Amino acid sequence: MDIATSRNGLRALRGFFGLLVVFLYAPILILAIFSFNDGVLPTFPLKGFTLRWYEQFLSNPELLEALRTSARVAAVSSILAVSLGVLAAIVMVRRRFRGKAAASAFLLSPLVIPYVVFGIALLILFFAVDTFLQSTFGLELGLGWRAVVIGHVVVSMPFTILVLVPRLERINVALEEAARDLGASGLRTFRSITFPLIMPAIVSALVIAFTLSFDEFAIASFLASTDTTYPLYLFSQLRFPTRLPQMLAVSVVVIFLSILVVLLAEIGRRVAERRLAVEPSTAIGGSGA
Amino acid sequence: MEDLAAETPVPIPSKRRRTWSVTLGLLGAPMVWLTFFFLIPIAVVAAYSFGALAIFPGDAGFTFDGWQRFLSGDSIYMSLFWKSVRMSLTVSVSVVVLAYPIAYFLAFGTQKRKYVLLLLIIAPFLTSFLLRVFAWKVILGDQGVINSLLFWLGARQPDDPVSWLLYSQFTVMLVLAYVWVPFVALPIFVSLENLDRGVLEAASDLGASRWRIFRKVTFPLSLPGVMAAFVFVFIPTIGEFVTPLLVGGTRGFMYGNAIVGLFGPGFDWRTGSVLALFLFGVVAVLIGIFGRFLRVRSVTA
Repeated sequence: MDIATSRNGLRALRGFFGLLVVFLYAPILILAIFSFNDGVLPTFPLKGFTLRWYEQFLSNPELLEALRTSARVAAVSSILAVSLGVLAAIVMVRRRFRGKAAASAFLLSPLVIPYVVFGIALLILFFAVDTFLQSTFGLELGLGWRAVVIGHVVVSMPFTILVLVPRLERINVALEEAARDLGASGLRTFRSITFPLIMPAIVSALVIAFTLSFDEFAIASFLASTDTTYPLYLFSQLRFPTRLPQMLAVSVVVIFLSILVVLLAEIGRRVAERRLAVEPSTAIGGSGA
Repeated sequence: MEDLAAETPVPIPSKRRRTWSVTLGLLGAPMVWLTFFFLIPIAVVAAYSFGALAIFPGDAGFTFDGWQRFLSGDSIYMSLFWKSVRMSLTVSVSVVVLAYPIAYFLAFGTQKRKYVLLLLIIAPFLTSFLLRVFAWKVILGDQGVINSLLFWLGARQPDDPVSWLLYSQFTVMLVLAYVWVPFVALPIFVSLENLDRGVLEAASDLGASRWRIFRKVTFPLSLPGVMAAFVFVFIPTIGEFVTPLLVGGTRGFMYGNAIVGLFGPGFDWRTGSVLALFLFGVVAVLIGIFGRFLRVRSVTA
C-alpha cells in the first residue's frame, strides 16, 4: 500500500494539479493570443492573424529605450548582487564566529521587507542626501537608474545567497583544504577551486537576480525619475487602449525569453553539476531527483 | 573564546586573529551595502516620521503629531490598514490551501518528473508581474474576454455586461492569489520532500489509516513550510499597491495605495513615513513571531 495517497486520492490530486496549471497559464496564453489578433480591443470573436503589433513595438523608440534601461539596471544590479552574495554565502557556510546567526538573519532580512516601504525609505534617504549636498557643496546627484540599481541589489542579494549556500555546502571542503596545504593563498584557492565548483550556482543566481530586477516595478517607481524602465513604461502605457496590443506583443517576447533563459540556466546547471561529479542539487528545492 | 576558532582544530593565537580579519574582510562589503542602503534608509524614515529630520523648508521640529493622528481611533488610514490585513489574510490562507495539494502531489505522487512539474508551476512566477495582473483586467473588464465571449454566445446583451467582475476587493484578492500560488508551492514542497518517510511507514505499520497519518504525522511535520509560505505571501501582499491600482478601483484600494498617494499627489511625506514605518513595525513583529520557520533551509536544500 502506498502510505501517502490512495489510488483515487492520487487521481484527484493529479486532476487538481492539471486544473491549477490551466489556471496559471490561461491568462498568459490569452494575452499571447490577443497579441496576434488583428484588432485593437482584446475582445472575442478574434479578428484574424497579424504581426503588426510586433512590428509596431520594434519601431517604438521609447519602448526600446525603456527595454535598454531595464537591461542595464538588471545587468549591473545582478552582477553586484551576486558578487556580494558570494562573499556572504562563503561566510555563512565556511566561517564560524560569534554573532553569526544574527549576521545571517541581517543578510537575509531584505527578503521580508514590503517593497513599498523599502522604496520610499530609499527615496527619502536619497532626497535628504541630495538636499544636504546641494546646500553645502552645490552638488546634485538626483535619482535615476543608479538609484534603482542600489535598491535592486539590496532585494536580490538574499536570493543569490539562498541559491549559493546549498551549493557551497555540497563542495567537499577537503578540496579547498588540500589547496591550502599545498601553499595556495585564500584568493588563489577561491579562484582555482571554489569558484569553478560553484560556477553553476553563480549562473543561476545571476539569472534570478537579473529577472527580478528586470521585472521590478514598486522600488523602481519611486527611484527611477526620468530613467523609465520597462515595467514603468508598460504601466504608463496600459492606460491607453490603442497602445495595448503592442504592449502585449512586447510582453509576449519578454515572457517567452525569460522562461527560456530560466529553463536553459536550470538545465545547464544540472548538467554542469552532474559533470562536476557531485550530487546534483536544485536551486528551487530538494536534494536531487 | 573556543568557538572563535575556525578551521584549524588547534587554534594558534596569531592565526585566530587572522581568521577573524578574513571573516570581516569577506563580510564587510555585503554588510556595508545593507547598512547604507537598507538599515539607514529605514532609520531615516523613522527619524522623518518623528520630525527629527528636516528635508523640506517648513518641516517642523520633533513631534508626535503624525503618529498621534494616525493611531487615534477614527483615522482613515487605520481602518484602511485593517481592511488590507483582512484582504491579505484571506489571500495568504487561500493560497496556502490551494498550494498544499500541489506540493503534496509533487512530493508523494510523482517520481521521475518531479522537478519538471515543479518548474512548470514556478515558471509563471518568473514572468512579468505587471502583465500577469494586467491579464485579469483584459479578462474581467466590461469589454473583456469573459464579457465579449458572453455577448458573442448571446448569453448577455452588449449594453448589459457583467460588471462586478472587475474593480472590487474580490478581484484584487483573486489576482493576488493568482500571482502568489506558484511561489507558495515551493516551501511547502520542500518541507514535505525532506520529511522522513520512515516515520510515515512506522505510523502505517502501527495500523494508522492514511487520513490519520496525514493528520497526525505528515501535516504537523510540514507546518514549518506552511508557515514560511504564509509569511512569504502575507508580507508582500499587505504592502501591495500595484494590483489594486490596476484591478481594484476605489473599492479595492489598499494601505499600500495610501502610502504611495502620500508620496505622490497627496504630498505629505511626514504622514507617509508614519504609515510606512508602522507597516515595517508590523512586519518586524510578524518576523519575530514566525522567524524560526524562516530558515534558509525552508526555501532551499
